[in-house]
Amino acid sequence: MSVLRERVTWVWLGLMVLTCVTTWGLSKNLFSPAVAVVGNFLIAAVKVRYVMLDFMELRQAPVPVRAVFEAWPVLVAAIILGFWFATPAIR
Amino acid sequence: MDGVWVFIGADSVIFAILFLTFMQDRLKNPALFEASRHTLNMNLGGLDTLILLSSSWSVALAIQALKRDLVDRVPRYLLGGVLTGLMFVVSKSIEYFQKFAHGLTPGTNPFYMWYFTLTGMHLAHVLLGTSLLTFLWIRSRRGAFSSVHRAVPESVASFWHLVDLLWIVLFPLLYLMKAV
Amino acid sequence: MATHAEHATSVSARALPPYPADYRTWKILAWTGPVFLAAVFGLWGLLARNMPPFPPSATPDEVKAHFLEFRLPLLVALSICVTMTALYMSWSVAVARVMERIEGPGGVLSKLEMMGGTITCAPVMVTLAIWLTAAHEVNYLTPGVMHMLYWMGWLLFDLAYFVTSLQIAAISIVFMRDKREKKLVPEPVIWWGWVTFASFFAVSAIPFVTTGPLAFNGVISFWIAFFTWFFWIPSLSYFIIKAVDRIKAEDKVAGRVNA
Repeated sequence: MSVLRERVTWVWLGLMVLTCVTTWGLSKNLFSPAVAVVGNFLIAAVKVRYVMLDFMELRQAPVPVRAVFEAWPVLVAAIILGFWFATPAIR
Repeated sequence: MDGVWVFIGADSVIFAILFLTFMQDRLKNPALFEASRHTLNMNLGGLDTLILLSSSWSVALAIQALKRDLVDRVPRYLLGGVLTGLMFVVSKSIEYFQKFAHGLTPGTNPFYMWYFTLTGMHLAHVLLGTSLLTFLWIRSRRGAFSSVHRAVPESVASFWHLVDLLWIVLFPLLYLMKAV
Repeated sequence: MATHAEHATSVSARALPPYPADYRTWKILAWTGPVFLAAVFGLWGLLARNMPPFPPSATPDEVKAHFLEFRLPLLVALSICVTMTALYMSWSVAVARVMERIEGPGGVLSKLEMMGGTITCAPVMVTLAIWLTAAHEVNYLTPGVMHMLYWMGWLLFDLAYFVTSLQIAAISIVFMRDKREKKLVPEPVIWWGWVTFASFFAVSAIPFVTTGPLAFNGVISFWIAFFTWFFWIPSLSYFIIKAVDRIKAEDKVAGRVNA
């Protein structure tokens, strides 16, 4: 088993890169709050999905189970972003 | 162990409810939440994410090795999971200590109540997960697990990945969410 | 004369108690669990206005005003609830007997479960009686005393959780050890027990906060902690009730005295 050839390693690398993008990229002031927040949570949803599919191995799970779990990051992101847009601006 | 997915599912739904309630409270006082958010250490939070992702990776490698009966490689990957778990605990402790030193406690305002409650509950999960991984590491060194005996390690691994994915949402929610 | 069952049961005929099993009474006791829940939910939850509870941040004057406003429904709901809490005990006995068929008669965990379920009745009954007293006597008590009684109830009701936690843990552990191909209690229900067990710990925060998720009316200490337990009782009960029938059938096949 070569670690470098394992799928989980490539997924890990992708997740690490995305983390740097959100933490030290999108947080910069050159992005508007809306772009930063939407970007952060879309990326978070994608990251959660990959953790579920490739670390938790839900790719191999029965379809109904997989569907329920994959719905979670979508719903969570939707709820959070929904509230964010509904929140009044600070004066 | 199929039943562990009920636990993981319930835990996920419970945290989703907490995220929703947090956003509800934030809606009532966005200025307070934004001002308090600025006192959080984003770099430490980002580092925590990198630590937990690496921890999940290590544990995932352990399960891959186990599936292929590379029994002698399993312990080192599990140990990697344990050590990174401990790194997270240390990092969080430093962060909490910094807050307390500045007089910031759960009682300071609603944002801090949420910050300490959410990260505290998550930390409890990290401690539990790290303990379970330690138990697995010890037993794996005695060859307790194999490709046909892997229900327990897989269940613990799945729990650990849950801990990881919860932080993936918690971090932007608390640390990165700018207000307009 | 007893022969051993062919299909998977983990307790041999020799290990059964020598007196006959009264399956009908056993099943009735198993039903008292859902009845208990319906009573608590309908009476304490809805009629007595506890969903959600009157806030911990309320001032003494506000507490007194609340008890004055709802005095009659409180008297009705709480008095009946105090009495019906006993059904949690009767239910626990039924559960313990099913556990004994897996653990063996006189097993330590089935005893722990029965004790845990029975003792759970104590803080529940005493709390309801405290609030009943507050409602009954509201016209003679100062706001300060009313506030105290309100808090006394919640502190007792909530913080005694570990008695129930141990009951739940004992149940989850024993039913996990069931060697039947189709367990008497399925794994999801067992694991939901662990979810409930875990959710109780956060409640320890209630003395220290009056607002937010950890307050006794908050999303964690109230909604999650109570509803995980509220869901666990009927889902476990469904399988306990069915288990009595399954055990009766197993006993019959095995030609045991008890059937």
